[in-house]
This record gives sequence, structure tokens and C-alpha cells, in this order.
Amino acid sequence: MALAKERLLKVYKDMFMIRRFEEVIQEYAANGTIPGFVHLSIGQEACQAGVVEALQRTDYKFPDHRGHGAIALCGTDPKLVMAEIFAKATGINGGRGGSMHVNDLEYRNMGFNGIQGSTMVTCLGTAFASVYNKTKDVTAVFLGDGTLGEGACHESLNLAATWKLPVLYCLVNNQYAISTNYHDAHPQQELKTWGEGYEIPSCRIDGNDVEAVIETVEVAAEHARNGEGPALIEMMTYRWQGHFAGDPAAYRPEEEVAAWKAKDPVKKTRGDLMQKHGFSEEALTAIEAGIEADIAEMLRFSLESPAPKIEEALTFVYADREVEA
Amino acid sequence: MSRVLTYAKAINEALFQSMERDASVFILGEDVAKMGGDFGITQGISYKWPDRIFDTALSESAILGLSNGAALCGLRPVPEIMFADFLGVCYDQLVNNAAKLRFMFQGKAGAPITVRAVQGAGIRCAYHHSACVESWFMNTPGLVVVSPSSPYEAKGMLNAAIRNDNPVIFLEHKLLYNTKGEVPEEYYEVPLYEAEVEREGSDVTIIGLQITLPMAHAAAKQLEKKGVSCEIIDLRTVAPYDKETLKASVAKTGRLVIAQEGPRCGGWAAELSAMISEDLFEYLRAPIKRVTSLDVPIAFAPALEDFVLPKTEQIVAACEALMEY
Ligand SMILES: Cc1ncc(C[n+]2csc(CCOP(=O)(O)OP(=O)(O)O)c2C)c(N)n1
Ligand SMILES: [Mg+2]
Repeated sequence: MALAKERLLKVYKDMFMIRRFEEVIQEYAANGTIPGFVHLSIGQEACQAGVVEALQRTDYKFPDHRGHGAIALCGTDPKLVMAEIFAKATGINGGRGGSMHVNDLEYRNMGFNGIQGSTMVTCLGTAFASVYNKTKDVTAVFLGDGTLGEGACHESLNLAATWKLPVLYCLVNNQYAISTNYHDAHPQQELKTWGEGYEIPSCRIDGNDVEAVIETVEVAAEHARNGEGPALIEMMTYRWQGHFAGDPAAYRPEEEVAAWKAKDPVKKTRGDLMQKHGFSEEALTAIEAGIEADIAEMLRFSLESPAPKIEEALTFVYADREVEA
Repeated sequence: MSRVLTYAKAINEALFQSMERDASVFILGEDVAKMGGDFGITQGISYKWPDRIFDTALSESAILGLSNGAALCGLRPVPEIMFADFLGVCYDQLVNNAAKLRFMFQGKAGAPITVRAVQGAGIRCAYHHSACVESWFMNTPGLVVVSPSSPYEAKGMLNAAIRNDNPVIFLEHKLLYNTKGEVPEEYYEVPLYEAEVEREGSDVTIIGLQITLPMAHAAAKQLEKKGVSCEIIDLRTVAPYDKETLKASVAKTGRLVIAQEGPRCGGWAAELSAMISEDLFEYLRAPIKRVTSLDVPIAFAPALEDFVLPKTEQIVAACEALMEY
């Protein structure tokens, strides 16, 4: 079942936005304006945009370290996300977290824990709370092929399956964990079998096909909402950049990178809009120009915003007391 | 023959030489073989000994569990945990296994493992990639915790750690990797459990470690102009630490400043301070002072991170306060 024209256009805009967003981050990380590490999701836009599109605002989302895209689409004003990555006071978390730790409770972006595997068990708690409080909210947790190696992932799959918790395991298989190919880290040909081992409905889909992502996650979310328990969705994709911005990624064959670039999810969706829905080149170019203007505004905002005041470093450590300097 | 090497290269050389002299030494960790480590420390080893260095999945518990088990069989594992913060994931293997195996087996076997991990703040990576973790472990009898401060120490102490029959947590500081110093070409060891007097003086003893040592030296230079003579001690092994060297120095100077990266509460500086005040009370001419990080998590924004870390001026001020006491 194909998506309606308007909806496909909406996710195309999302995908185009996060592509450009990430390219800006990449540029400003390379020129030293953005401190620390950034992990870019260029090439994985369909997974990021598709999962978020298939969820409700009140569903809990646990992005992963490569999650700028999902984070910027959860509902938070993207310029506050960008400002966070730029370490600015105006960032959604006041510059205390940066790229790896952007969160926004208002939109139920539950943030990422820099310790891989950690959110895989925290997500049980939000799912549990939904059941306990008798709400219909589901929890979606992003994880990579590499992270699946953490013991916490087994504990999570086991408990969610046994207790039928509404967790959607959004397994972004971009085939590498830093330099390690997933075939060198796991014995299974398809990582979805990890879910099957726990009798969790699991599937592998083309993670560069945003329509497939949305449809699959929607069905899984519906089941979870109805008390039928977790699902695992393995989305096959590829990160175009190195592990972090600046990593030359010498461990990957060039032909492999080129082959995946040819399967560009943003281009694919653009092509579908033109071929299946009759959009003209001019119409799409105009839409893209609008997004470019939004991105330029986010960048201006991020660059012009002040750094946080140093006293901020002492805040929010305890609930009921101050920390002494 | 000695020549100038970086701290990173000195560690790499120790790994080569320890593997050369003892066939039971092997390495495992994430991205250590093919890529040569996230910080490049294990580079080249897989070319020389492809069967003695192993890339694992993201599985810190398995990395250390396997190490402990193999150590019980007489092997000498040198696992790498990519960032010291991730030691939290495998804390059990260190604190409840490695530390206690010798005790449990009545000395017939133990866990001669050397766990390498990189620690410390200063690269704008926020609260999950910046901790100094000595204090997480020094409350556990059976563990040896070492933190080398120079290329010479790094090579010599790593060799000594690998040959040592205890579980050793070998903590490399990320800001030191590119620092340079004289390193002998041949295999040598710098003994564990021994602190080193780096600068002799008569008025104040400053104990430092890793990045607080250059601060201590800078402080000593400033204080020298004001007629204050500082003795500087590099602690080197944090647990079990060298009481005799510390006591001899403080007995001479009667004043002690301890400069530690990491939160103040429950840090190693607190332990040293307690020991000196118990054993050397009558020698002290002024209270002991600690210069430490503040008791907060490390934030991402550079200004926030810098604000909470110890600084040269604070060491100077602490020494001056003791002189005026
Ligand atoms: C417990 C823990 N181990 C290791 C790391 C370092 N690390 C961060 S991301 C990563 C690779 C993750 O691979 P994958 O899950 O496939 O996600 P991808 O980076 O491909 O998006 C590693 C090893 C970490 N942050 N936490
Ligand atoms: Mg991956």
C-alpha cells in the first residue's frame, strides 16, 4: 500500500531537511565550530524520518547516537536542536548535552545515553509506565547493528517479550559498528532473528524505502498499542560518512560506499514524488528552497546564540539541593 | 638507546614488546584489530600477530568475562575498553570477579588481566565520555589502578602491569596521547606501587596525576618567584598507593596540596588526605588542601567543561593559603 501523495511529500520534506541539517553539522564540525564528536545520519534519513512519521507525538522515542534526524523531527523546534549541537545556551538542553544527548520531554524524545545498550533497557520503563498507567503510548528505541552485541539488549528483548511491553525495536542495520562489519560481530545472516529468538514479531525491510519504514512501524505500533507486545524491525541501510564526522572510514571498500550512495533514500523519494505523483522538478526545487531557507535560519540562530553561563554547570545535579563551586 | 615518542606510541610499543616476550599475552576489544583501536593505540599488532588480537562485538561484559576466565587458565589478556566510562557496563567483572578471584581460589589462581581504557575530560564529549574513574575502583581490594602521566611511565608501567599477577586497570588520559617524551627503545618496566618525586622542594608537597602534573609544575614555577619551594609527586599507582614516598615528602614539607581530576567527594585525593592526617598529623603545619573537579557531571559546552576542571591558579592559591596559614 503506497502512501498518499500529501504524506509522501511531508516525509520527503522531513528527509530533505535532515539531509541538509546533517550537511551543515558536518561542515561546522569540520571547521571546528562544533566541539566534540558528531555522528551523522546522512544516508539513513528514511529510517529516521519514517519511524518518527509512524509514531504519535505522545509515543516515547529513544533516538541513538546517530539520531540528529529523528531528534529534529520529534516536534522540537529544529533550531533548538541545532543550537544544542553547537553548544549554545539556546540549545534545547542549554548546551549541556550536545550531539549525543539531545532530549526533549515535551515531545517525548527521551534522549540518548552515550553508553551503548543503555537505552535498550531504559525503554522498558517507559513502555512499562504506559501499561501501568493504562495509556496507549508505545516506546520506540533506535539501536544499531553493533549495539545489539550488548548484553542489555538480550535482557530487554526477553523482558519485553515476556511481559508483552509496547516496545518497537528500531534496529538500524547500517552494517558497521565503527570498523566492524555486522557479519564479524554476529553469527546470524539477518539480525531480525535476534527478535525471533524471543518470539518477538520481527522483520527485515529496506531501510532506504521510507514508505516501507512507515508502513511497517505503523503496523507494529498498532499491535503494541493493542497490548500485543513488542516488535523488532531491522532496517537495512548505510551511513555515508565515517563513524563520526572526520573519520576517514578506511575500513570500508569504496565500491560498497558507492553502491549504497546510488541507493540514496532522499533521491529515491524525490523520484517517487515525480514519477508516481506527478510533481514537477520546479515544484520540488521550490519546496527545497524553502527548506534551505529554514536551515539557513537555524544556522544563523545557532551561530549567533551565546554560550551558556558557567554557573549552569552546577545546576540540576540534585533535585533538592545546590552543588558548591 | 632512547628517543622521543608520544604517549600513544609508547603504549603501542609496550604492547608489542610484552607480546613479543610472552606468548600468553593477547588483546581483545572493540575495533582493536582491523582498525587498531579507536585512538590508534593497538595499530600494527594484527599484522604481526593476527591470531593474538581480536575484534569483539560491543560486549564489554563478555570482553572482561572472557579475560577473567582465560586468565584463570594461565593466559594474560590485555582487553581494551574504548572509554573508561564504559567500564560501568562491565563493573561486575572487575569488582566482583577480577578483584576477588585470587582470594576465592586461595592464591592458586587469580586474574592477571590488564584492562586498558582511556579516561579524562577535555575533549568536549560530555558526561558519558569524560570521567576519570580511579575512584570507582580504589574502594575494591584486589584491584590495582594505575594512571601513567608521561610516555616513559606509560610504556614502563604497561609492561609492568602486563607481567603483574593482579588485575590492573590501566588508565590512559586522552589529553596525553600526543604528549612527547624520552622513551628507551628496549623493554623496561616502571615498577607499580611507587610514586615518583618529580621536583624536590621544601615548603609544600603537591601530589598530582596525569593532567594535574603539568599544572603543578606551572604552579611551582610561579610560586618559586614568590620564594615558595614546591615538591611535586607523581602518584602513578592510585591503588594500592605508595604511602612511604608520600609520607616522607609531607614529613619534610609539613604542607600538602593534592591535585586531582575528578569529583572531590570520595576521590583518591580524599583517601590520601585521610591517610596523611592520620599518620602524619603532628608534622602538618597547615590543613591539607585538595584541588579537584567540582562535584558535577561533565557538561558538553566548552565553557561549562572548563569551569568544573582543576586549574593551575587553584593550585597556586592553595599553596599560598597553606604558606599563610
Ligand atoms: C558501552 C559502549 N561501548 C562502546 C561504545 C563506543 N561506540 C559508540 S557507537 C559504537 C558503534 C555502534 O555501532 P552501531 O550500534 O552499529 O551504530 P552505528 O554507529 O553504526 O550507527 C561504538 C563502539 C559506547 N558508546 N558505549
Ligand atoms: Mg551500525
